[in-house]
Amino acid sequence: MRRFLYEAQRALASPVRNPRMATVIGRLLGAAFLVCFGTGLYSHMLQEPAAWMRFATRPEFLYQVTQGTHIVAGIACFPLLLAKLYIVFPDLFAYPPVRSFVHVLERASIALFVGASLLQITMGLLNTNQWYPWPFPFRQVHFALGWVLVGLLAIHIGVKLPIIARHWRAHEDEQEADHLVDAVPPERSRNAEAVRLWGERGPGGLTGRLLAYIDETPPRRENRVSRRGFLATVAVGAAAVVGLTAGQTFTPLDPVNLFGPRKKGLGPQGVPVNRTSAQAKVADAALAAGWVLTLASRGTERTFTRAELEAMPQTEVNLPIACVEGWSQMATWRGVRMMDLANAVGADAETSFHITSLEQRGSFRQTTMGREYVQDPLTLVALELNGQTLDLEHGYPARIIAPGRPGVLQTKWLSRIEAIDA
Amino acid sequence: MNRARVILVAIGVLLLAWGVFVLFDSVRPARIPGLALWLGAAIVLHDVVVAPIIFAGGILIRRAGHRLTGTTVLVVQGAIVVGSLISLIAVPLIIAQAYAPNNPTVLPFDYGARLGAFWVFVAVTASAVSAVLYARTRRANERPSSRQS
Repeated sequence: MRRFLYEAQRALASPVRNPRMATVIGRLLGAAFLVCFGTGLYSHMLQEPAAWMRFATRPEFLYQVTQGTHIVAGIACFPLLLAKLYIVFPDLFAYPPVRSFVHVLERASIALFVGASLLQITMGLLNTNQWYPWPFPFRQVHFALGWVLVGLLAIHIGVKLPIIARHWRAHEDEQEADHLVDAVPPERSRNAEAVRLWGERGPGGLTGRLLAYIDETPPRRENRVSRRGFLATVAVGAAAVVGLTAGQTFTPLDPVNLFGPRKKGLGPQGVPVNRTSAQAKVADAALAAGWVLTLASRGTERTFTRAELEAMPQTEVNLPIACVEGWSQMATWRGVRMMDLANAVGADAETSFHITSLEQRGSFRQTTMGREYVQDPLTLVALELNGQTLDLEHGYPARIIAPGRPGVLQTKWLSRIEAIDA
Repeated sequence: MNRARVILVAIGVLLLAWGVFVLFDSVRPARIPGLALWLGAAIVLHDVVVAPIIFAGGILIRRAGHRLTGTTVLVVQGAIVVGSLISLIAVPLIIAQAYAPNNPTVLPFDYGARLGAFWVFVAVTASAVSAVLYARTRRANERPSSRQS
């Protein structure tokens, strides 16, 4: 066992695998994790607000930016996390495997950290593809793992703080190999430790031939070249995965949107669709001749046909639709101001509303709209999109569009808007 | 330093405990074993499959390229890494298309063709860069050294 661990570490030794490199990549990865956590928490609070929470409605592209950043930073974690794991991989073969009870805890926390990190970014990526192959709910687990990961990140930084502090800045003397694990000899030749472990003749059989094969491999080039090459590869890799996918939300990158799950401008009336009328099973109810929108507040209840809504003062706004899955699309909407409808049933400026869709099932069938959105002049019950009658896929006969909210809260196929009694 | 470490670890343990509470509070217990399995599988997949493949790949590339300059080997390695990273993003897109709901605005591209084209682009770029590096090295070697002549 000891021989195996020793030879594994020796074979894996590389000028790239050193604490300075772990610090350089680690702080970028840590920053990306914190950005993902912060933007994710914001998105979660928007979707499941406590009654006392109020949110900024300006800038109107706020959610487009926070959620776009969430997805971009998450995708950047793929090259960064793999690079970090590459750097510290020889530590897996540390000898002795455990030194003390605290060391057991530390190694266990690292194992959980690695597993949870890999799972978290993979889940996030597959969610943007609307593919859910795992046997547990995405939203709840992704949210809980977010907390688990920031906790493990704090523990990890705490444990490694002396190493991080020592290698935060580059040192001149680091030009020579400075390996993560002290037991690893910087030179690749057999040394006293190997002789002690194997005897003078070295290991025989398959193991011996395999190790000899690895030893005969031409050595890596000069350390500095190796390190620069490694960093350049990570940088190009991160630029590639981000640059070729971020066009789904960041317009300047739209021409190179090769591997994004969405395409700007692609969809009915030039806007992508997240949940189709067929998925929501609303077509019959939405296209029924007798459709009305019901507004209710403190015992007052009024219904509006689509013609009646069209007869009210119309407002045109430019607002993005921005999805939790990271895509976004600017569009021009036209319809009735939400606050006009609230006034029509006598609700005051302090009133928040429940908004219900024609959908019979679905976790966002009913949503809550806080008073800051109700009173915002940009919040509409939209009847038109990009100059045409709202397409069925975009929520015909009427839908909500409000500034700075996730797409799942821009309720389509409206049925009922009801004041929440304070 | 030690005080900062204790504070960081203490905060971390609290956040971790909160995350575990949130997990058990929002996910049915019957789903937890599946989650544990996926967590374990992620570790095994990396440590037992991905990392050894990278290690073996590195050795094979260095052996195959023992006559090339170190920079050329690095360019080839970098090209393989970048192509693999994009494959990591693109392959799920291709598989997901088989499961995707009937929504033409989700996963609208032919990602397989795009991935193939990207690998060709990576290979051509890496070859061009290697050729330039090779030519530069050769010219530098052929040029008589001004100091020695």
